[in-house]
Amino acid sequence: MSNEIWVFAEQREGKVRKVTFELLSAGAEFSKMSNQAVGAVLLGNGLQEAVKSLTPFADKIYLMDDPALASYTSDAYLIQMAPLIKEHQPSVLLGGTTSTGKDLFPRLSMHLQTGYAPDCTDLRMEENGKLVAKRPLYGGKVFAEMAFSEARPQMATVRNNTFLVNEHLKKSAQVISISSHTDPAVLKKKIVGLEKSAGTKLDITEAEIVVAAGRGIKAPENFKIMEELADVLNASVGTTRATVDEGWRDLKDQIGKSGKNISAKLYMAFGISGAIHHILGIGTCKTVVAVDTDPNALIFNYADYGIVGDLFQIVPALTEALKKALAADN
Amino acid sequence: MGLPLSPNASLLTGSDSLEVEMEIYVLVKQVPDPEAIVKVKSDSELEIENKYFTNFFDEIAIEAGLKLREKFGGKVTVLTVDNKKVDALRRGIAMGADDAIQITDPALEGSDQFAIAKALAAYLKDKPFDLILAGRQAMDDDAGIVGPAVAEVLGIPHVNTIIGLEVDDPKKEVRVMREVESGKEILSCSLPALFTCQKGLNNPRIPQVMNVMKAMKTQMKKVDLAALGLSAVDVGGQAVKIKVQKYLPPPKRPPVKMIKEDFPDNVKTLVKLLKEEAKVI
Repeated sequence: MSNEIWVFAEQREGKVRKVTFELLSAGAEFSKMSNQAVGAVLLGNGLQEAVKSLTPFADKIYLMDDPALASYTSDAYLIQMAPLIKEHQPSVLLGGTTSTGKDLFPRLSMHLQTGYAPDCTDLRMEENGKLVAKRPLYGGKVFAEMAFSEARPQMATVRNNTFLVNEHLKKSAQVISISSHTDPAVLKKKIVGLEKSAGTKLDITEAEIVVAAGRGIKAPENFKIMEELADVLNASVGTTRATVDEGWRDLKDQIGKSGKNISAKLYMAFGISGAIHHILGIGTCKTVVAVDTDPNALIFNYADYGIVGDLFQIVPALTEALKKALAADN
Repeated sequence: MGLPLSPNASLLTGSDSLEVEMEIYVLVKQVPDPEAIVKVKSDSELEIENKYFTNFFDEIAIEAGLKLREKFGGKVTVLTVDNKKVDALRRGIAMGADDAIQITDPALEGSDQFAIAKALAAYLKDKPFDLILAGRQAMDDDAGIVGPAVAEVLGIPHVNTIIGLEVDDPKKEVRVMREVESGKEILSCSLPALFTCQKGLNNPRIPQVMNVMKAMKTQMKKVDLAALGLSAVDVGGQAVKIKVQKYLPPPKRPPVKMIKEDFPDNVKTLVKLLKEEAKVI
């Protein structure tokens, strides 16, 4: 059995996602304790840039560059990854809690007959190389530390922004190219289209800063002030179930139980009363700011900083104040 | 509601005929209501308020199945693995499903998601299904494993968290839309297949009172492990690949700091705190 910690290096259009670097950084910490090499598994097509970006973060890059892998489908990725894992038998395989990770990992773990802990909010490795995965249950009302059976690899997907990227890693990964020829005829599904989201903002699960407004914003066009605030902070704009159900905002931006869980470094909620559905989605955010006109709003119980006030007054003023404060830094 | 099925109807299927009937299975689960109190009782035990409902995403899956049946004819069967709770099956029947199956066996106690998936796949493997639908995840373990794992055991394709479904050929091919971080992806997928359903796919119907009454009286078909060709070692505590080592309460946030100054000083203070105290900007 090899003794490697693997990270599924997720890329879109040749660009490796931030969560991959977060996991490689965590993997580097684990490797110090357990003396294991850190491997990145990279699948796709046209991956020179991706390889370059991964090189300082991993000891090895297992590379499969194949036109059939250009876009993710579980079929194509599983056909390539399963034999590679069986051959090298890594002790750990990590991925991000992303649309790809959540699609691939459960199926791959069943295929490999090994354990998989989804959507973890922390991981630690014990000296014997055993992974302990912490994950929320019941929408985050409780957490559980999960232990794996003897089967390997120990698989987990981890929420974006759980680990910090260690920019000081100066590894120089050895690239192991694996010739991969996927016969398109065996694939049972294929991507026939992509409707790209407007704008360039990160998904709310990936953004380090998320600002959100709920029904308190009164009308869909008023989200303009949220977008302006977000632009200053390089943040993404989230929202609540109520505004999505009203058709004011897209479902992809909904935070909470029937939407997405976020682990932002900074989350700011404006005009959000704090229904349990919403609160459950922000439980692992580092710093939470709440602004609401109602001094008894539940959201204040879950915030670090609170202001009782009118978002229509606070948001534009905050945008201006942040512009000045951040300009002073540069 | 559902049209009576002719036993020979499946013989009439042709790829360009709308008379084709779709055999659809929906995987469902009864889970604690989002409002239910869930607390850590000890390292190995939770206290869960007795307030259950049919998993929100499973209702979307049931609705998707019913809509397809309305269009193409066929049959919708709801299926659960649970030794006690069958209300999700009743909900399925009340909404209009034709049949309800409960996989139940004492040996299933302590099963993880992989064992549940094995049991479901064992039931489904000989069935003439065109489509299997499930919720995006169950709102208890929030794992999202069972759907894709069932597809893996059955050797059929799966697509997760679909928000759109167009049937091009009810026996051969569908197009589904799913959310990805950069937008919405459209995939064509051959049938049979398994899809997990996400909010946005449809709005589940509210069952009519008459149907709720009917569902209360419906006898669920029970299936045990022996009938599935599985034994106790395949499932339950012995088969677990992953298990809870310790339950923990959610991390607690320190008490909120309310900024009580008047506008605009409160905004200035907030910026200062975010910069100097929280150090997040």
